[in-house]
Amino acid sequence: MRANIFKWGGIFLLSFVLQTTVVPVIGIAGITPDLLMVALFFLALKNGQMAAVGTGFFLGLAQDLFSAPSILGQNALSKTLSGFFAGFFNERMMRVDFVFQIVLVFVTFMVNDAVYFIVQVIKTDGGGVIHNLVATSVPRALYSMLFALLPYIKERFLPTSFRR
Amino acid sequence: MRWILELIVRYRVIVAVLLASGLSLRLISSPPDLQAKTARFLAFSFFYPLQVTFDQATKAKNIYAENHLLKSEVALLTAQVAQLKDEKIENGRLRRMLDFEERTPLDIIPVSIVARDPSPVLKSVVVNAGTNKGVLAYMPVVGEGGIAGKVVQVMPSLSLVQLIKDPLNRTSILVRRTRAVSILETENGIDYFARFRIHEDVAAGDTIVTSGLGGIYPRGFPAGVVEKISDEGDRLFKKAAIKPGIDIDRLEELFIVRQPPQWAAFRAQLDSLGRKR
Repeated sequence: MRANIFKWGGIFLLSFVLQTTVVPVIGIAGITPDLLMVALFFLALKNGQMAAVGTGFFLGLAQDLFSAPSILGQNALSKTLSGFFAGFFNERMMRVDFVFQIVLVFVTFMVNDAVYFIVQVIKTDGGGVIHNLVATSVPRALYSMLFALLPYIKERFLPTSFRR
Repeated sequence: MRWILELIVRYRVIVAVLLASGLSLRLISSPPDLQAKTARFLAFSFFYPLQVTFDQATKAKNIYAENHLLKSEVALLTAQVAQLKDEKIENGRLRRMLDFEERTPLDIIPVSIVARDPSPVLKSVVVNAGTNKGVLAYMPVVGEGGIAGKVVQVMPSLSLVQLIKDPLNRTSILVRRTRAVSILETENGIDYFARFRIHEDVAAGDTIVTSGLGGIYPRGFPAGVVEKISDEGDRLFKKAAIKPGIDIDRLEELFIVRQPPQWAAFRAQLDSLGRKR
């Protein structure tokens, strides 16, 4: 249990550092992947809804605090609900094959961004949810899906001795 | 009471979602000043370690960008410094030229060197003035410190200057102090010398000036300084090593003295004598 906490803590910390340093450099036309979201998705898949909801809430809150200007609670709510959604497909409860996993990453992104943009529209009276989803979320989700392939690549191509 | 706790434990995920969503919505709907206060409280109490990590990550990212920026600035500044140094040197040269131009009673044409003799031993240079500025063949060319050579070929906007470094270029000189006359020569384009009769009074440190006898250079123009005297076992002559007044290898700007050769007036008569013969 403790090892699991440290492992996921390390993954989130690494994702956080990469998100703020490397990711802006690899952006394409202003579209950057969201590594924290990808990490949250896999946490939900491996550990279920409870862990995903808690982590999503605090992760979102941290994002709200450190990504000014933002509405406090906006990311917290979207990450909580997307963690809750992704947690439905917990590997302990059901078998999720690779292709479905990739599709799920995309849908989780959409859930997260839909909540995010709805809050934004309500609070600021600006922008359209559908327009933002198509213009921003879809490319971002597609780009992030590439990073969701990493665990699959590790499982598929890394020698057995490298696996834990 | 017990059944409530059991219900919470049983539906803990739903409760957690509702709690987290409720808290988020509470934060979202709170007024901006309360949001700011809450953000400040959370940042300083719970998220301080994360903030440190964030700061370090941002700093690392900034250091990378700053390093990149500084490198390009260093390259730019190095180029600017090199250019300024060059301009400073040029400025000094031009100032000295201007000073010389005002000081000298001669009618001179300031010129710049535009091409050099590609031979290993530099013998001639091309300057940016020709017939368009009234340059004539055999006009003397001087630098601020002394004679440099003479014009040997004139084109519309360029002239070829044969430097004193050319072994074929010999200049009539005299020692300013004792008026002993000789010829400034060089055999290799590096060492300059003049031969004086053994009894002539010439010493190291004497200033050598043009004698005006060659008909090209004006009389009394500085040519160099005697460095040392050696007789080399010769009973008739002694050899004076001479350091020219200008550094021939580092010429950039020169002056053409607007003075046609003094023998030009006699040229027609000399030519006619030749024809008669």
